[in-house]
Amino acid sequence: MNFLKRYIIPRLIQYFIVIFIGITVVFLVPRLTPLDPVVTVLNRMTAYGAQYLDPSAIEKLKETMMELYGLKGNVLEQYLKFWGRLFKGDFGPSLSIFPTPVISIIMNSLPWTAGLLITVALLSWIIGNILGGLAGYYGDRNWAKILGLLAMTIYPIPYYIMALVLLILFAYVFPLFPMTGGYSVGLTPSFSLEFILNVLKHAFLPALSLILIGIGWWFLSMRSLTSTIVSDDYVVYAQIMGIPSRRILFQYVMRNALLPQITNLALQIGGIFSGSLITETVFSYPGLGQMLYMAINNGDYNLIMGIAVFSIVGIATAALLIDLLYPLFDPRVRYR
Amino acid sequence: MFLVIKDLYKSDKKFAFGFTVLMILIFLALISFLSPYDPKLWNVAPKNLPPSFKYILGTNSMGQDIFWNLTHAIKNSLFLGSLTAVISIFVGTLVGLVAGYLGGRTDRILMSINDSFIVIPSLPILILISSIIKQHISIVLIAVILSLFSWPWGGRQVRSIVLGLREREFTYTANFSGMDTLKIVLTEHLPFVIPWVMANFINTILWAIGMETTLAIYGLSSLETPTIGTTIYWALQYQALLRGIWWWIFTPVLIAILLFIALYLLSVSISNYLDPRTRLQRMRMKEGGLEA
Amino acid sequence: MKKISILLLFILLLSLLGSSVTFSQVLPKLPRHETLIVDALHGRLANPKDFNFWKPGVSVGNGTQQMLLDGLWYLDPQTGKTINALASSAPIYENNFKKMTVKLRSGIYWSDGKPFTADDVVFTVTYLMAHPGMSYSDAFNRYVSKVYKKDNYTVVFELKESVPAFHYLFTSIVYATCYIMPKHVFEKVQDPLKFEFNPPVSLGPYLLKQYDPQGYWWLFERRADWKRTSVGQLYGMPKPRYVLFIYYGPDEKKVMSQAQHQLDLIFDLTPEAWEILRKSNPYSRVWYKDFPWAWMDDVRARIMAMNLEKAPYNNKDVRWALTLATDIVDVVTSGFDGIARVNPLWICATESLLKEYYLPLEDWLKNFALEDGFKPWDPTVPDRIVDYAKKRGYTFSGNPREIFGIGWWKYAPDEAEKLLTKNGFKKVGGKWYLPDGTPWKITITAPANFEIHATRLAFAVADQWRKFGIDVNVETVEAGPFWNKWNLGDFEVGSYWEVPATDFYNFVQGYHSRFLKPTGQVATAGNQIRWKNPKLDALLDQLVNLQPESPKAKSIVMDILKLYVEEMPAPVFIINLKFNAQDHYYWTNFPTSDNSYMAPVWWWGQFKFILPFLQPTGRR
Repeated sequence: MNFLKRYIIPRLIQYFIVIFIGITVVFLVPRLTPLDPVVTVLNRMTAYGAQYLDPSAIEKLKETMMELYGLKGNVLEQYLKFWGRLFKGDFGPSLSIFPTPVISIIMNSLPWTAGLLITVALLSWIIGNILGGLAGYYGDRNWAKILGLLAMTIYPIPYYIMALVLLILFAYVFPLFPMTGGYSVGLTPSFSLEFILNVLKHAFLPALSLILIGIGWWFLSMRSLTSTIVSDDYVVYAQIMGIPSRRILFQYVMRNALLPQITNLALQIGGIFSGSLITETVFSYPGLGQMLYMAINNGDYNLIMGIAVFSIVGIATAALLIDLLYPLFDPRVRYR
Repeated sequence: MFLVIKDLYKSDKKFAFGFTVLMILIFLALISFLSPYDPKLWNVAPKNLPPSFKYILGTNSMGQDIFWNLTHAIKNSLFLGSLTAVISIFVGTLVGLVAGYLGGRTDRILMSINDSFIVIPSLPILILISSIIKQHISIVLIAVILSLFSWPWGGRQVRSIVLGLREREFTYTANFSGMDTLKIVLTEHLPFVIPWVMANFINTILWAIGMETTLAIYGLSSLETPTIGTTIYWALQYQALLRGIWWWIFTPVLIAILLFIALYLLSVSISNYLDPRTRLQRMRMKEGGLEA
Repeated sequence: MKKISILLLFILLLSLLGSSVTFSQVLPKLPRHETLIVDALHGRLANPKDFNFWKPGVSVGNGTQQMLLDGLWYLDPQTGKTINALASSAPIYENNFKKMTVKLRSGIYWSDGKPFTADDVVFTVTYLMAHPGMSYSDAFNRYVSKVYKKDNYTVVFELKESVPAFHYLFTSIVYATCYIMPKHVFEKVQDPLKFEFNPPVSLGPYLLKQYDPQGYWWLFERRADWKRTSVGQLYGMPKPRYVLFIYYGPDEKKVMSQAQHQLDLIFDLTPEAWEILRKSNPYSRVWYKDFPWAWMDDVRARIMAMNLEKAPYNNKDVRWALTLATDIVDVVTSGFDGIARVNPLWICATESLLKEYYLPLEDWLKNFALEDGFKPWDPTVPDRIVDYAKKRGYTFSGNPREIFGIGWWKYAPDEAEKLLTKNGFKKVGGKWYLPDGTPWKITITAPANFEIHATRLAFAVADQWRKFGIDVNVETVEAGPFWNKWNLGDFEVGSYWEVPATDFYNFVQGYHSRFLKPTGQVATAGNQIRWKNPKLDALLDQLVNLQPESPKAKSIVMDILKLYVEEMPAPVFIINLKFNAQDHYYWTNFPTSDNSYMAPVWWWGQFKFILPFLQPTGRR
């Protein structure tokens, strides 16, 4: 009970404060930029040859639209209105694709982003950490050194290039995989095996590009963590005692090394809501990253806020869960 | 200091390799001051020439000599990365150490601030900020903005290490012997944190260069200033990959890889050298000739 | 345990690879030889299911306006001719342009079987007028006092004032126009701003068959009753049974798709991307068979816009000096590899407009002189570009003046120096100083990740001016801020493309000084360069009372063009071009330089009229 009062409640308060600060910052920054959603839409209309004979007609349209978008009133008024709507669960209409509700735009792309990024995060975490642990423990073996060299070479390749090279190699030069989209044109989404296989085929290259870089990162960090633990007393003792290497590695060394890695994994999963812009661009893969980018370029305040709120809440929640569950993983940790 | 470097150079192969490569890259960065071409000018050389004696790394589609352009790119990228890393490591480590050790309300306040920066999605805000400061954009400004987003990761991780250390015996010993907080944090805990700091330093440099590349690909960096990122941007703009102008697109990638390997190996060997636990191990090895 | 799981992973991978042998088609279920695949202009749409075009801000270029919507008239910029689509003839004006009568084509039906009649046209106008916030609402409210039908195929407009170009509201001049709404659908809609018009009822020759909820593709199928549409009546059956609008991604992917014959028509490519495509696909073609390949009859041209309210750009001599300090042939050859048509006047040098305005003005241009007698016209420009092309080893055939333009301004840095020193500028140590003694620094604003030619022009011109001795810096900006700066006047020099073509009449109205918005306020009417000139005002006052097609109007346009040359508010460089590549593998007889029957604009509403001309090659 004491623990609850002294630790959990303050931690929860901190959680809400963090979300509050984050949302406020994301609310303010777009409004401080010269981007104006109404002007953007007007520009789009005039750029595509809207034939108004009298230029003063455009003037009136601007007024009408500001009303429509709820952009009248100063920043503070808009801020309070925003929170009012948020508590009702309403993110408002998108300003660049008026009046489609922001929430429906997000829900449309979210399954793709979540599916791809969560799978990628888990797969690369598992593979990367296992390989990294092995390489860190058996540091002197040749294969460990080769793996290390491979990771060190692949990880720093700029992601755009990696994605592009994979695309060109495996969708063009050797046309093994589709070049574009989440699924083939003309197929209707359903839970049939045909559709699922189609989705997997389309997701393969985007996932591969992300996993390769991901494995590089987890591998290297895990390896450095394990190599420091390897010299700890209890490990040496266990070796002397004759416990098989594999058991030492998996049950002693890695369990200790994994702690910071779990934190990072949670934060990474919490952060999927921003999508992966480059993956989506290069592979024409549906997702939230492009939505966010488009929202920024069009000054679409509501859509930016919508996605940002998801993202902020996601990461903050992940961090909160980690903090609360950490004592379960590491018995050494006590909170004052 | 020099003796240490010489020592490491002789004994540790990783250090030797990393150090050498880094020195080469720094050398390349320095000779950029001798470059016969102003990196902002186009059409100072014929376009799209493959590497030759006159143009060591060939020329690109804007009529620039790639080799001299690259020297500027290395200089600018290194500078950008280092500046970002220095600022963010400094702030992040300090925050993490203090928050981890003191706990209680200080911890919560510091972590609230820390986490607020983590939860804000970095790429969108970076794009927004770049669009505001477009006129005054420069390497230094990019570094400062990037460090706004990279310091909190260090903060969190250092804090979690310290949380583990805090309960260890030597901490209690130090505390009971009357050491004050700052001294404990700096003299007892910092050495354990250093391996992590070094890894973080490297990663921040690389993250900074990577982020700058990402921003550059979207045209939001200082496009006229050569960096690894902007070189890739221009190469992609002119479809260097599909046109087979490999010398243009692969050189910045190769440099990025070499830079990473060099810095990484250096950091691994330095942190091994500094880490009290491995130092003991090495001392034991020297005395007893044991296999590690 | 671990080894087994790795083995399983391998087996899974292999099976995936195996099953992907049949992947290669984009359309597993459609006959490729009966389908035309077109690049989607807007890229991925966040809300692909909204087909209510009449809401402001809805993107219609991804197939909606090309396949489903139709309007009264279309003005084809390539030939300069007007197509009478839903209207059967040109509008009839009476009463000093206060009354307009339109005769409609009969025998046209909506895709759900209801006939198209004057009721739909009348409804469109009254409905939009009644719902502020919809496109064209404000425009109609401004001009229309009454609209009614005289019979089922005749509509009469009574206007509040004399508007000789009222029919332009219903003419597709650039890209789109006010399309006609189906009365039987929209009369039931209470709030049109929330209505999504899904599934859409089509007036064009195609139906919406299917679309991607993620916003990447739209599939259209030809109507069985295509004869009952304007396209069918005018030109016959549109040949492709299916049309797929799809967005593949960045240029590299479009190139790879067309090289694999999975994309027939591309919106635009960078010159380098075109080079790759040209080399990998022998069936690809843009406009000309050989150099310079590109389609250069687009409806805008590129300028170095200057904010005329900022010094020193408010001085005509300075503007002419900057123009003369630029070697246009150098810009074209080193910035664009010779692929550009020079465009010296304030109207685009398209195939039709070259004949209509440029050739008649040629003598005047040859004799035009600045105040000190210097004659800046240079007719040798096209030939010098051809020389460059030949040196580069390109095959070239055709008339240089038709392809590269009839001339531009001379490269005369000496004259430029004279003009500047006359105004107090000083050149010290090879660098220019403003009259107030400070070094002359120019910042050119250019687009960051779109409209690549504008960016390249900016860099090329910056190069020229630097050689001349000015300290120039190019600042690239993303689309949002780019257009905001333009409208607010927050720039010194900017690489924009503010030159009209067949829409000159509308375009130029906004340059009247009564619409001028000073720097810092949004320029809603155009004229972002803030050009204020009493002679221009006088000409515009005359022009607004004339019908755009009248000869008097055309001569006033020529006077405006001459005024522009004298004042040189913003030097015009090159016409916009596109590498809108066509794949002749499955379909052929697209418009090209040998057969320029229509503008090759797949993203405009008039694309539907090209479809009956296409021919299948027979390949499967």
